[in-house]
Amino acid sequence: MTVYFAVATLAFRRMVAYRIALWSSVVNNLFWGSLICEVYRALYQGHGAVAGLTLDDAISYTWTTQAMISLGVGWVSGEIASTVRSGAVERDLTRPWSFYGYWLSRTLGEHTFNLLIRSTITYMFGVLVYGARLPAFVDLLSFVLVLVPGLLVGFAFVFLINATAFWLLDATGPMLLANVVLGFFSGFLLPLAYFPPWLQLVANALPFQAITNAPVLAWLGQSSGSQLGRVLVGQWFWAITMTLAALFVARRAYRHVVIQGG
Amino acid sequence: MALYLRLIGARVRGQLQYRGAFLANIVGYTLLTGLEFASIWVLLTRFGAVGGWSLAEVALLYGLTASANGIAQTVARGFDGPFEKLIMAGGLDTLLVRPAGAFFQVLASEFSLRTLGRTVQAGAVLVWAIGSLNIEWDLAKIVLVPLTILAGTLIYASIAVIGATVTIWTIKTPEVVHIATSGAQQLVSYPLHIYSEALRFVFLAIIPVAFSAYPCALWLLERGDPHGLPAALAWAAPLVALGFGALTLVFWRVGLARYQSTGT
Repeated sequence: MTVYFAVATLAFRRMVAYRIALWSSVVNNLFWGSLICEVYRALYQGHGAVAGLTLDDAISYTWTTQAMISLGVGWVSGEIASTVRSGAVERDLTRPWSFYGYWLSRTLGEHTFNLLIRSTITYMFGVLVYGARLPAFVDLLSFVLVLVPGLLVGFAFVFLINATAFWLLDATGPMLLANVVLGFFSGFLLPLAYFPPWLQLVANALPFQAITNAPVLAWLGQSSGSQLGRVLVGQWFWAITMTLAALFVARRAYRHVVIQGG
Repeated sequence: MALYLRLIGARVRGQLQYRGAFLANIVGYTLLTGLEFASIWVLLTRFGAVGGWSLAEVALLYGLTASANGIAQTVARGFDGPFEKLIMAGGLDTLLVRPAGAFFQVLASEFSLRTLGRTVQAGAVLVWAIGSLNIEWDLAKIVLVPLTILAGTLIYASIAVIGATVTIWTIKTPEVVHIATSGAQQLVSYPLHIYSEALRFVFLAIIPVAFSAYPCALWLLERGDPHGLPAALAWAAPLVALGFGALTLVFWRVGLARYQSTGT
């Protein structure tokens, strides 16, 4: 366990070093957040609540998703696949640890940094400039409770997509498709509540809503009391199912390792 | 020109060699950009209109600007990601000592078939929008549509060249350049009048991407702009694009003259 904790701590410290990367991605988040908010303001002209969301909710939703980008809610990282391509994966596989556990703790370490720094800067901008809401303390707690299993689902998905590299060597194609599906069905591009009913049915049956939509709704205070219990059951169901699926694929993938060059 | 066609021909044949990867790429890219429009579709069916514009009218904007962006990405691909790699590896040195212009060589170095997926998808949206809108066609309108797409292509391609020129100094393409292209296309897909004055000014007068859609749509739909943009502005798009392109070329020359290799 101490090994994984050390990996996570190192990942956290590595993120601290990349200052320019930090600021350029924050600027990116701010631009997109502002753009989407201006569109929502125009859309909401003459409307009260649409699909249960007011303009205020839509703006807070937008800034929450922008703030969560660095937690991997909007796109799939290809880091693991690139180690397969370069051959560095062999080094990580032969070490006395779980390959899955290594990448999971590394990712969680990065996420912790991002949540504390990048996400906070982005969201505070939304609060100051666009009036995004600050949550009540209870909602902050339920957000964290919903987010943790959500991150596990997100990582399992990232791992599954990256694992295609063990067979294909180049995971660019699957990555492209994964990004499309994740962005749209997780509620990252727009709240699932806006979807027409049949499409909502599809989205709610998929694991992706656990990554973005569920934590954001908790942040907005839309899952409290008995509702929260139901959401958490769903979250952990997907976290366990997806992790088991990823571990299963991982075992088969390791047998497929082709070491590239020296 | 003959040399350009030969080089591009080789690029195209090269990409067609990997048939499976090629098809997967095109399908993936069509879906990816298709979901861009799906978001617009979901929002407009929920809300009915944005700034008084219906789904079909917004689709017209999207179709015009995304087609132009798609063609530009295919043609000017050499100035995008591959150029960054070229600079990082010091490969530009090789281009500079060859007996042909560097601009020409970079342009002819890539021709991305994958991004055709965007053009196909955007073209389909454009056809659907035109079909479901009651536009009273006359000769002027028929001429204006291809002219606007051409102008838009030149504007998007120029942004790619500006990004490449900045890369000559910074080695890595700054994030701002990616925001400029993908952000601009999404922004211009909604009627321009909904934005704040600052944003409208930037996208009409500084990075004139708005000319790839909004003025043309106003002319086709015979609508007025709430902020009083003149209707005749639609016809200025080619001139604006040429002017922007010319300035870009000057900027490229300046950038190249200052080039210091990475030394690798």
